Amino acid sequence: MPKTDEVVQKLRAMLPEDAVCADEAYKAGVAFSVLAPLGKLRDAARLFNEAGFFLETITGLDFQDTAELVYHFNCYEPKSRVAMRVLCGHDQVAPTVSDVYASAMWLEREVHEFFGIRFADNPDLRPLLLPEDADYHPLRKTFGKVNAYRKREEIYG
Amino acid sequence: MAEKFQEPVVDQIYTLNLGPQHPSTHGVLRVLLDLDGEFIVKADPVIGYGHRGHEKMGENRTYKQFMPNSSRMDYLSGMIYNHGYVLAVEKMAGIQVPERAQHIRVICSELNRISSHLLWFGTYVMDLGGFTPFLYAFDDRERILDILDRVSGSRLTYSYCRFGGVSRDVDVEFIEMTRAFVKRLRSRWSDYHNLVTKNIIFIHRTRDVGVITKEQASQYGVSGPNLRACGIGYDVRKAEPYENYDQFDFEIPIGEKGDALDRYKVRLEEMEQSCRIIEQALDKLPKGPVMAEKVPANVKPPKGDLYFAFESARGLTGYYLVSDGATTPYRLHIRVPSFGNLHVLVEVLKGTLMADAISILGSVDVVIPEIDR
Repeated sequence: MPKTDEVVQKLRAMLPEDAVCADEAYKAGVAFSVLAPLGKLRDAARLFNEAGFFLETITGLDFQDTAELVYHFNCYEPKSRVAMRVLCGHDQVAPTVSDVYASAMWLEREVHEFFGIRFADNPDLRPLLLPEDADYHPLRKTFGKVNAYRKREEIYG
Repeated sequence: MAEKFQEPVVDQIYTLNLGPQHPSTHGVLRVLLDLDGEFIVKADPVIGYGHRGHEKMGENRTYKQFMPNSSRMDYLSGMIYNHGYVLAVEKMAGIQVPERAQHIRVICSELNRISSHLLWFGTYVMDLGGFTPFLYAFDDRERILDILDRVSGSRLTYSYCRFGGVSRDVDVEFIEMTRAFVKRLRSRWSDYHNLVTKNIIFIHRTRDVGVITKEQASQYGVSGPNLRACGIGYDVRKAEPYENYDQFDFEIPIGEKGDALDRYKVRLEEMEQSCRIIEQALDKLPKGPVMAEKVPANVKPPKGDLYFAFESARGLTGYYLVSDGATTPYRLHIRVPSFGNLHVLVEVLKGTLMADAISILGSVDVVIPEIDR
């Protein structure tokens, strides 16, 4: 059984129904898209790690009503990328996965400095790319020149 | 007399600042090294000196206007980044590309991959103290720059691809120059191997130096030749074939131990595989247009998101685009391979000699402005 199916099966058992969407045509560049609640983030990341996935990237999205974290997991098999989306309110703190994946240490530093999302228990949240005294979050839609600041439903419906 | 001299200082850790202007840090990388004698106890790379805000810029310009940015992140494989960017937008907007343009793009991308590896080869061996191979590599690389200059008009930051094709067709001379280059490069391998691969000093500085294990590679998201040197044959061109890579016959070279010597061998073999792809693409090059008809002046992809992965010279690269249906992306994120390839050194450099750190830094082939974005 491909690793992707294996991990998705376990995720389906752990997460609420309709949280996992399959994308058989690989139209968005992922085999599965998972919407996980903030509280299940660490458990889900552990599942991916145990199944032999690596963490490809973490990125943030800024919407009027909420922030969103997108985790892309992948393994060394054809077309097996999985996107995990986690909604994180502007006043919420996300749990860290830096103890699950070593690569998350820097990725979380990057998301923290650019979006102002804090990761609880990450021991090192110094700015990574910005100056060390930076007190602004450039990829927030409230910073600098912005074309549109939308609600999440306007894009994902 | 004796009290005038200090006792030798033992058991003391001191911090050495390597870079950001050190000749071996390739770009502006600073590494804070905690040293115990000559051994590294802790390495902390400090990056961000070249941060230009490409992702923020992406949110403020149309899809087409971002084109020049795409080749300025990893300036050594600008063509591949440019190629990947147009592929991502084409996939999102549903634009079909004529076959001739696909072949031309693949030829140019593979030429770019060879030129990037040649530059790495030259500078890496120079880091280790050999100056002559650098001149050999740059002699060969110069020919690629001439070929790409001929079609794209620039030598480094190419914006040759367009949504739906390429900016202009190639001519007979381009084909002849490329064939001549491939033939010549093949005749040079023996020189390269005699000069470097069999050189005993080179072997001693690379064999068993900077071993990246499979576990470390997976935990840090290492990709590209560095990953394949560990023995994992993962290449996006095979795992998720894009453009028309599935039509070509080529192999994925892999190493065994994941040390600097394996990384060196994998890259050298990869250049030969790129030559094979180029030859096949030239043989099959179909006639026809190089631009799709009816490509809108301002691309407006439908709402939603897309992750598009491709294999740059340094590894797994991805564009993550979120569209709100407008002519500018709502969010544009770039996953760069050097990010993981550099981060893993935090682990790999521990316990190695300071002199080996230079060899290891060179062997992973990081491009810092790509990480900084």
